[in-house]
Amino acid sequence: MIAVSREAYRESLDELRADVESMADGVLWQLRRALDALEGGDRGLAREVIEGDERVNRRYLDLEGDCVELIALQQPVAADLRFVVASFKILTDLERVGDLATNLARYALAGSADVVSDVRVGGIGETVTGQLRAAVDAYADADSEACRAIADRDDALDAACQNASDAVVRELIASDPDRWEIERLLDDVSRLLLTIRDLERIGDHAVNVAARTLYMNDGDLELVY
Amino acid sequence: MSQTENADAEDATDATAVTANRTDGRRASTTAGETVEETRPEWTSYEASGETKVAVEDLDVHYGDDHALKGVSMDIPEESVTALIGPSGCGKSTYLRCLNRMNDRIRAASVDGTVELDGEDVYQDGVDLVELRKRVGMVFQSPNPFPKSIRENVSYGPRKHGDIETGLLARLTGRAEPEREARLVERSLERAALWEEVNDRLDDNALGLSGGQQQRLCIARCLAVDPEVILMDEPASALDPIATAKIEDLIEDLAQDYTVVVVTHSMQQAARVSDQTAVFLTGGELVEYDDTEKIFENPESQRVEDYVSGKFG
Repeated sequence: MIAVSREAYRESLDELRADVESMADGVLWQLRRALDALEGGDRGLAREVIEGDERVNRRYLDLEGDCVELIALQQPVAADLRFVVASFKILTDLERVGDLATNLARYALAGSADVVSDVRVGGIGETVTGQLRAAVDAYADADSEACRAIADRDDALDAACQNASDAVVRELIASDPDRWEIERLLDDVSRLLLTIRDLERIGDHAVNVAARTLYMNDGDLELVY
Repeated sequence: MSQTENADAEDATDATAVTANRTDGRRASTTAGETVEETRPEWTSYEASGETKVAVEDLDVHYGDDHALKGVSMDIPEESVTALIGPSGCGKSTYLRCLNRMNDRIRAASVDGTVELDGEDVYQDGVDLVELRKRVGMVFQSPNPFPKSIRENVSYGPRKHGDIETGLLARLTGRAEPEREARLVERSLERAALWEEVNDRLDDNALGLSGGQQQRLCIARCLAVDPEVILMDEPASALDPIATAKIEDLIEDLAQDYTVVVVTHSMQQAARVSDQTAVFLTGGELVEYDDTEKIFENPESQRVEDYVSGKFG
């Protein structure tokens, strides 16, 4: 991607936007498949997700290189600069979501998510996927209002995750397991708690994407932390 | 100035209502009814931290029929670097030249509005122009040393201003101060980051220096008369990148003691060296004036945005 003129430069910016969107699509696909594997106990699908992370990582490094090249050769300023910087940060978030999707796939390989009857990981997974999809759309459409809405919804997601974790621990205590049962349940319970934590983290990355998008649109850092 | 303003446009009571971008006849005839983004007063009402050194209010400059600068109000804070950027013919050099009345030398130029240096109107009657230009020095685009020795280039100003006595009479009466002159030459060259390179050949002709050295010599010559404000009109545009970097370092360094105003066509240079940046656009209007970070990261004006990101036309 060598921009030789201002026109080519504009084209490389458009290309970067399209590339970030397509990487996001790839990451969302990984996430959905990981959740499917987790819910359906599909070990083959889980393995595919784990192998697919390599593609996400390669894509990430390529696009990071494109951002560095744009900065080095074109010295973008103002809106262009905010766009490149925001994209650079968003790429990192997307790559991390890819890693977390891989974690979810590993949990699917290790065993069932239906350890505790009250807790439906799938429901949280859908919310998280929706948040990330909305954040990527907000980036693609440069939609500041959507960014704020995503950040607002994150509190509810955090609460849902907290409730789910509490329910897991509560049910474990209520079942009053003896020593042998504890040994048997230990892996399942900690895996479930990690699953919930990872989903919550994916939600945080969706908020990061929204926060950087808002900065890209308005130069506004209000959602960054 | 390529800008030609029609008489009817000048008559418009609201300057911001002037719409067409009349850089050429073809454009002007096809832009009837097209609205150019209006300049908002808050985009230029920037107040820098620090004391105001030069206060400019409602500055209008005409070169004959050309309206080169339109009602510019813009204060320069002391001991900092202020960059003026904008396309050719936008009025940035005109603004710069008003600060030490260099425009007085252009016959057709008429200047309205006020320019105050430390609260004193520099355009009022009885202002000593030699004294004004000593306080507000200038460095030009092409290095222009005198065809004299390096030493004489630096001591020329102080001698002219009578800061150093060197005449025959002074020598005869014992008032000559060769040591003081030597100290002044050394200090000025040091301040301009040139001393190390020339201290063993002060009596060589200045024209034998490289372009970058010549420009630093011109800065040393300007510093020798102990100015308060230094105006630089594209000081590095004729220099290679290494010489440019030295001038940029020097500009930053000088801003610790002097008020520096620099006109540049290099936006990266403005971004690198300045504390605040003023953007002039075609038509002689100041469109936005703010912290340099703000101008290059998130400007208010769409036209400034387009200009700094290289989207023209």
